[in-house]
Amino acid sequence: MAAPSQVVASMPRARFAWLMLLFLGPAVVIYSMFSIYPLLATISLSTYTTNETGDYIFVGLSNFVTLLTDTVWSKPFWNALLNNTILFCVHMVVQNPVGVALAGLLSLPALRFRATYRTVIFLPTMLSVVIIGFAWTLILSPLWGVAEGLLKLVGLGSWFAPWLGLPSTALVTLSLISVWQFIGIPMMLIYASLLNIPEELVDAARVDGLGQFRIFTHIKLPLILPTIGMVSILTFVGNFNAFDLIYAVKGALAGPNFASDILGTYFYRTFFGYQLQVGSPTMGATVATVMFLIILLGVCLYLFFVQRRMLRYTF
Amino acid sequence: MPMRARISVLGVHAVLLAYTLLAILPILLVVMNSFKTRNAIFGSPLSPPNAETFSLIGYVSVLGKSNALVYLENSLIVTLGSMFLVLLLGAMAAWALTEYRFRGSTLLVLFMSIGIMVPIRLGSVAIVAMMLRLGLNDTLAALVLVYVAQGLPMSIFILSEFIQQIPKDLRDAARCDGVPETRIFFEVIAPLLRPAIATVAVFTMVPVWNDLWFPLILTSSDSTHTITLGVQHFVGQYTTDWNSVLSALSLAILPIVVIYIIFSRQLISGLTAGAVK
Amino acid sequence: MATLRIDKLNKSYGDAAILRDIDLSISEGEFVVLVGPSGCGKSTLLRMIAGLDGVTSGDIFIGERRVNNLEPAQRKIAMVFQSYALYPHMNVKKNMTFGLKFAGLAQPEMDRRVAEAARMLQLGPLLERRPRDLSGGQRQRVAIGRAIVREPDVFLFDEPLSNLDAALRVSTRVEIAKLHRLLGATMVYVTHDQIEAMTLADRIVVMNHGRIAQTGKPLDLYYHPANLFVAGFIGSPAMNFFSAKVHKKGAGAVTLSGPGVPAFDLRAASFAAPVGASVKIGVRPEHLGAEGPAGFRIAGAVELVERLGETSYAHVRAAEDVAFTAESRGRDAPKAGDRIILSAHDRDLHLFDEDGQRIAIE
Repeated sequence: MAAPSQVVASMPRARFAWLMLLFLGPAVVIYSMFSIYPLLATISLSTYTTNETGDYIFVGLSNFVTLLTDTVWSKPFWNALLNNTILFCVHMVVQNPVGVALAGLLSLPALRFRATYRTVIFLPTMLSVVIIGFAWTLILSPLWGVAEGLLKLVGLGSWFAPWLGLPSTALVTLSLISVWQFIGIPMMLIYASLLNIPEELVDAARVDGLGQFRIFTHIKLPLILPTIGMVSILTFVGNFNAFDLIYAVKGALAGPNFASDILGTYFYRTFFGYQLQVGSPTMGATVATVMFLIILLGVCLYLFFVQRRMLRYTF
Repeated sequence: MPMRARISVLGVHAVLLAYTLLAILPILLVVMNSFKTRNAIFGSPLSPPNAETFSLIGYVSVLGKSNALVYLENSLIVTLGSMFLVLLLGAMAAWALTEYRFRGSTLLVLFMSIGIMVPIRLGSVAIVAMMLRLGLNDTLAALVLVYVAQGLPMSIFILSEFIQQIPKDLRDAARCDGVPETRIFFEVIAPLLRPAIATVAVFTMVPVWNDLWFPLILTSSDSTHTITLGVQHFVGQYTTDWNSVLSALSLAILPIVVIYIIFSRQLISGLTAGAVK
Repeated sequence: MATLRIDKLNKSYGDAAILRDIDLSISEGEFVVLVGPSGCGKSTLLRMIAGLDGVTSGDIFIGERRVNNLEPAQRKIAMVFQSYALYPHMNVKKNMTFGLKFAGLAQPEMDRRVAEAARMLQLGPLLERRPRDLSGGQRQRVAIGRAIVREPDVFLFDEPLSNLDAALRVSTRVEIAKLHRLLGATMVYVTHDQIEAMTLADRIVVMNHGRIAQTGKPLDLYYHPANLFVAGFIGSPAMNFFSAKVHKKGAGAVTLSGPGVPAFDLRAASFAAPVGASVKIGVRPEHLGAEGPAGFRIAGAVELVERLGETSYAHVRAAEDVAFTAESRGRDAPKAGDRIILSAHDRDLHLFDEDGQRIAIE
């Protein structure tokens, strides 16, 4: 019964107002001040520019035009956007299937050491991106030779190359490192979702004669699609918001030669400036607003398409 | 067990073992080698330290050259501080929003949920300016405020789910008992939210501890750096000093690993419970 | 203790009407049971008396006070919930005194009340335990104890026995009856179980679809149900109903007959329904006995017999659409397949018109 509480109705107005203020006030204030307001302020700032004396002049959408067309700004921007998309694609192609597969294996009935596997596989997710970035840099470094050595052990020594240092492979390598770290979360979410599937469905399928693999593809997979959808949108938001790994491994310049530059690092450089480039709050705000719009678009598409279909799969 | 089944069980374990190795090897390598001499690091990177190669030189140099302990302390203050506030304010807000329906409460719920999807970083331009205006630039308080704002939407969402599981009869009984509304929350509802702490912790504490962005843009002086930022600076500075680098990384890894192993069961069950929407 | 009066009470959620025109007056110290099928509105009515749900229109008076806009805490009521609703993280003693703290009671007074309630309900050894260490029956007693210490004007019970197993239900029912006698308190009790209603109540209020179907003493409802619904609700197993038509009305008698029911004369000085009217004849299974000289008679084949020891229930089929249940006592019971003929006294017949209302027979 979703009825308004009688207590609300019979409480004197003033007391109720004070009660709501006490309970909701702090949260709403902090959230609005440090989450919503800055976002709105940034979007608003993107419509201004500074002149020589430091005053702000309203210029409407001209910053956006500059960002998208003026080569000084647009070349790195489109490069960053492309790289971000590649990052996202690598995640979707590698992280989701592997995550689903791992979750599927972990949820098999009567699996020994299940808790141990789970705990260890989830460990990298707990660590800081900075640490992960550096650890992998060292491991993949040709100077140390660990990676090369390990590959030689399995006979793939010829595969080795200083992947992080080559413009052609740097981005994909960093993407894979990111997948390696964060795969724990989709894995756990899908695992939880698999646990929710009623035993009876699986039992009925076994009585019907399906093997474990078929059970997974025909019964379990369709039922966890909503979770996979959620994981995808979380990956999308996370990827287009990414910064830490690239910055930690490659610095703000996101080399080699901007090959690993993504929107996050581009935003950082634009706002704070770096080496030869002077920071510009207004252009930084513009980049941030564009990032926001991209993420918003993705979320809206998700809510519109995926959420609608999800309703059909609820129990 | 029939032969075919036995092979497939072995296959499953083989795959899981392989991935587990892949997951843990990099970390193991870093920690292992941090305890070796420089020569041993390069000479035999894959072997654990033995009596000859064992060396603490990396750690000595890290602790000597940097404020690692200060950084750890800062990280602790910021993480625990924001988690406490996120839990307290989030629980109060979640309770008010689920329990009391009033005009505009649905809109308020929607408003607070926006933050789950929208990344707060994008407003950094304005956040930096605001902190300056408030006189909070380069303070731990600034970090706490930002992280609380960031963590509240998710925490309110998770706590609302938990609150809805508390039997409604309990609050009815408390009302009939004559317990004032605020006391109902603090003495009847709040103690029952203990299981939720694990879930909120996973979603709040870990991202805060590991965050690089906000310490980078909000703190400038060395004394306010968090461990994540500190390690990043240190490693950037001493890239060729492999001992120090490996030791710094290990120092940053070890607290988390220890906490993780102690609380792994709660953390994971918290994550799976929170994910069950 | 106080009286309780409900005037023209209505409750709706949006367009859905839950309670309609409820009028009820309860005297001091009376034990009133609200009974009815799921969804009849009895729990909603109870919650409105408690102040947990609001009033759409109408008034509620506890004693002389109009309590519509008062919070539960201000109404001087105490409620016992079906799920016991004990605070899980407090021990029994704390559970009972938690609310008293906020009423401004001093410690000695609180201790006295707890000791008194503990004595009444044998809770002494349980005072330090947590709810999770108690059995269902013990938890229910603690819930009742929590209500007692409040010394309320009205006690409210919301299906308190529904979560207990059958044996416990009977013993706790007896304890509640004894408690009422001891305290002499005004009690309003909600249940869907008509046996609880019959055994506990001074007065029963039968509710159906948000309205009161009939109010009265238990035996009044048993012997003189005012409508089809109450007739079929009170009594277990339920009353048998037979469709019939009024054939003719003579001086002092009415002739009725229907499918499976051969024509018979009913002595009646005045009979409200006209000739040709459809009526329903109600007869309780316990009132169907050996074939008698005249009056209501019915015959059929026994399909199934349920033997509960000395009592047996025979399920009989009289015609294609006509089946009924008959009770018999003693060691000899009919067997499946037997053909039997049963009669009922005129005084055990209940007649209802097309609207389900009782037809008065003088």
